[in-house]
Amino acid sequence: MFVLSIQDPQNAGPAPQPQVDAYGQLSKLASTFHDVDGLFYFTYAVCIFFFVLILGVLLFSVVKYRRKTEDQPAASNVTHNTPLEVVWTVIPLIIVMVMFAWGYKGADQMVDVPKEAARNAYKAMAKQWSWTFTYPDGSVSYGDVWVEKDKPVQFYLQSSDVLHAFYVPSMRVKRDVIPGRMQTVWFQPTEEGIYHLFCAEYCGNDHSKMYARVHVVSSAEFKKRPWDDFDDSTPELAAKSGESLYSRNCAVCHSVDGTPLVGPSWKGLFVKGEGDTIVGAKRTVIEGGATKEITVDDAYVLESVRTPAQKLVATHPNGGMSSFGPELIDDRRVKAIVTYMKSLASK
Amino acid sequence: MTTNIPAIDQHAAPTGGSTNYLNNTSGFWSWASTLDHKRIGLMYLVGTTLAFLAGGLFALLVRVHLWEPDGMLFDNPTYNQVFTLHGAFMVFLFVIPAIPGSLGNMVLPLMLGAKDVALPRLNLLSFYLWLTGAVLATLAIILGGFDTGWTFYAPYSLYTQKAVVTIGLAVFVLGFSSIFTGLNFIVTVHKLRAPGLTWFRMPLFVWALYATSILQVLATPVLGITVLLVAFERLYQVGIFDPRLGGDPVLFEHFFWFYSHPAVYIMVLPAFGIISELVSVHSRKPLFGYKLIAFSSLAIAVISFLVWGHHMFTSGQSTFAMFAFSFLTFFVAIPTAIKEFSWVATIWKGSIALNAPMLYTLAFLIIFAIGGLTGVILGSLSVNIHMHDTYFVVAHFHYVMMGSIALAFFAGLHHWWPKMFGVMYDETIAKIACGIIFVGFNATFLPQFIMGSRGMPRRYATYVPDFQVFHQASTVGAVILGVGIALMVYCFVVSLFQGKKAMVNQWGGVTLDWLTPTPPPLENFHEAPVVTTEVYDYSTLDLSTTRTPIA
Repeated sequence: MFVLSIQDPQNAGPAPQPQVDAYGQLSKLASTFHDVDGLFYFTYAVCIFFFVLILGVLLFSVVKYRRKTEDQPAASNVTHNTPLEVVWTVIPLIIVMVMFAWGYKGADQMVDVPKEAARNAYKAMAKQWSWTFTYPDGSVSYGDVWVEKDKPVQFYLQSSDVLHAFYVPSMRVKRDVIPGRMQTVWFQPTEEGIYHLFCAEYCGNDHSKMYARVHVVSSAEFKKRPWDDFDDSTPELAAKSGESLYSRNCAVCHSVDGTPLVGPSWKGLFVKGEGDTIVGAKRTVIEGGATKEITVDDAYVLESVRTPAQKLVATHPNGGMSSFGPELIDDRRVKAIVTYMKSLASK
Repeated sequence: MTTNIPAIDQHAAPTGGSTNYLNNTSGFWSWASTLDHKRIGLMYLVGTTLAFLAGGLFALLVRVHLWEPDGMLFDNPTYNQVFTLHGAFMVFLFVIPAIPGSLGNMVLPLMLGAKDVALPRLNLLSFYLWLTGAVLATLAIILGGFDTGWTFYAPYSLYTQKAVVTIGLAVFVLGFSSIFTGLNFIVTVHKLRAPGLTWFRMPLFVWALYATSILQVLATPVLGITVLLVAFERLYQVGIFDPRLGGDPVLFEHFFWFYSHPAVYIMVLPAFGIISELVSVHSRKPLFGYKLIAFSSLAIAVISFLVWGHHMFTSGQSTFAMFAFSFLTFFVAIPTAIKEFSWVATIWKGSIALNAPMLYTLAFLIIFAIGGLTGVILGSLSVNIHMHDTYFVVAHFHYVMMGSIALAFFAGLHHWWPKMFGVMYDETIAKIACGIIFVGFNATFLPQFIMGSRGMPRRYATYVPDFQVFHQASTVGAVILGVGIALMVYCFVVSLFQGKKAMVNQWGGVTLDWLTPTPPPLENFHEAPVVTTEVYDYSTLDLSTTRTPIA
């Protein structure tokens, strides 16, 4: 069993093991984009050849032609050698043209989305600082996404705030996610496992925590819909689902134990009242420039999710949270999060 | 290249007792209002070195922070500010202005046999614009800092509640400093060459500064306009880059890289020029393929305007754009390779003096080989998509920016230090410092290639534990590198107080800069030099000058 590290608090569950390829240089390849690795190792070999050549000539010269007496002249005063210069212009030119053609071929393959992938299209919504995935059947998961082994998959990428980038090293794909544009990326996973999904374009405070995982599973496992674990049939299950949603969507910015993060902590939002009741705490907020006191309740939490700038907590007057609309998280799920918040009061 | 006058002048009228540019006037105002290119060069040297040390301190903080996956020193927003400061200080206040501003100013008129640059007042204005930019950048830190990365990508740079407008203004002002220096050098090279100094007798440092100047004048305005647009957009909500206002963030990337790719060559071409000089002097051999090196500088300057798209391969550009930008990118590799081969061929069968400047030069040649070759890896489209915005890119450009440009700058400083001050530093300490810097540099950045190719993204305040061993190796390297740089600075400073007298012609150079008195007088030459021989012709070298201390 793997231990969850603190750096991705939003993701409960197993962390991917360190995965590298057979040469230990690249991350393990788990998609059909073999061309990237082939070209990388070809270029790498060419580079090592030229590096050793340059280093060898340099070291040999320094040893052999080192100035031993102060007035030692150069062993040769040659100023140029046209055939040699033509050779060392033309040979590198030929080599880099090979790299160019090979690289273009690989990139073209990445851009050209095959029909099977287009029929298996997901949506990845990027926002500061989390990923939300929508499956072809319309279901949703947060921070983790499941795909079927050997089945080409396409992701439509959208951002609701700033630039992000969708980067799965083991799939060899990367695509900037640009607000106001629909970007797309595809790959065909070839090995089961759990893979890192990083945000590779700097996006502000918690850029490095904008982390998700790609689960490549067999089709039998996929049919069990492991992402679909939301259950609010009882208050206990709702609180548990709410906690799961919290850890994947909210924990980067909001602590529940009072730890100062980017956003206000949820500690003490609800407190134990008379008997078994749980009541909302009083909070000072700024609305439309005016400071006022409110009592925390379900409606206030929902409003803070949908339009965070409406009422800013007085301790965090700059705001900065972007809104979570119903397409990212529906009212039922927000309610489950509120249930989780209330469960914190009873602890 | 010799002249009949200054070389003899050294013996006939040694500089002892006579005045030079350092002591002909004194007092704060004599420096603050100086029009002498050498004094302006020294002021740039002090200023850019301070900026380098500040940027280096930020780099060390970044590296120490990354010792642990969760970070050691800062919370994430603070880390983002520190890495931004590192990048912005190093790029705008050090790497771009350092070599042209300090060594370029100091040496270019000497090499041309001129009394000064063509426009001395404009030269002083350039320095004061640099100083204003430095003050504004420091002010931006006081006003809350900035956390956009040195690239200021929109729309984040439009939303973040930091001093983006102030640092934008700093970049704008620094841009003009750079443009004016470029203009000045272009005019100087065209108008103030000594009689007999034809274009193909010019030392290659002059060629490199000339090519750099063209880039500075043509490319920098685009950056100035871009940061102004960002400022307008922040202040007045004009929709240019912000998609919420109908703008396009990718347009910002195009504007930014249209400047910032040529800027890479604004930074690196002067370094190439220094290395060309030093390889020849310290091998006492004519530079191999002089014309090809001169033309390759111009070729690089032209092609560098056409490759900016290779910073944006993952941005969703069309396959045709990817095709064109990748193709042209590989074309830049060729003139660059020609330079490296020519330097190595110059050393071949030379008379190689293993002194401090030459050790830095050799370190450059090794590090630049790695920096250049890893650029070829990144030029390949499909591999670039995997490597883009990872530590592989970070390592690649540090091999070029720090390992090549800064080391060439250090090499040049060690080379012209006795010329500038008439004193020699302790060469043993200088060589030890060079060794420590070489080891520390490689220990810092080689591990970054590995973690980058395994997928470690850049600009991360925290990271997954897979990468910890590489981050720790890199941090150890950075500390070693810091020690080496501290030792080098110490060695230089001590030499000013305790250094032995320099030789009349310390390294046996034959370009005009070595044929003036040391340190040079106010207007450089007692009598106007006339050039009668080809460049780098060591047959005319009077070896006694390399053993005669200045009087």
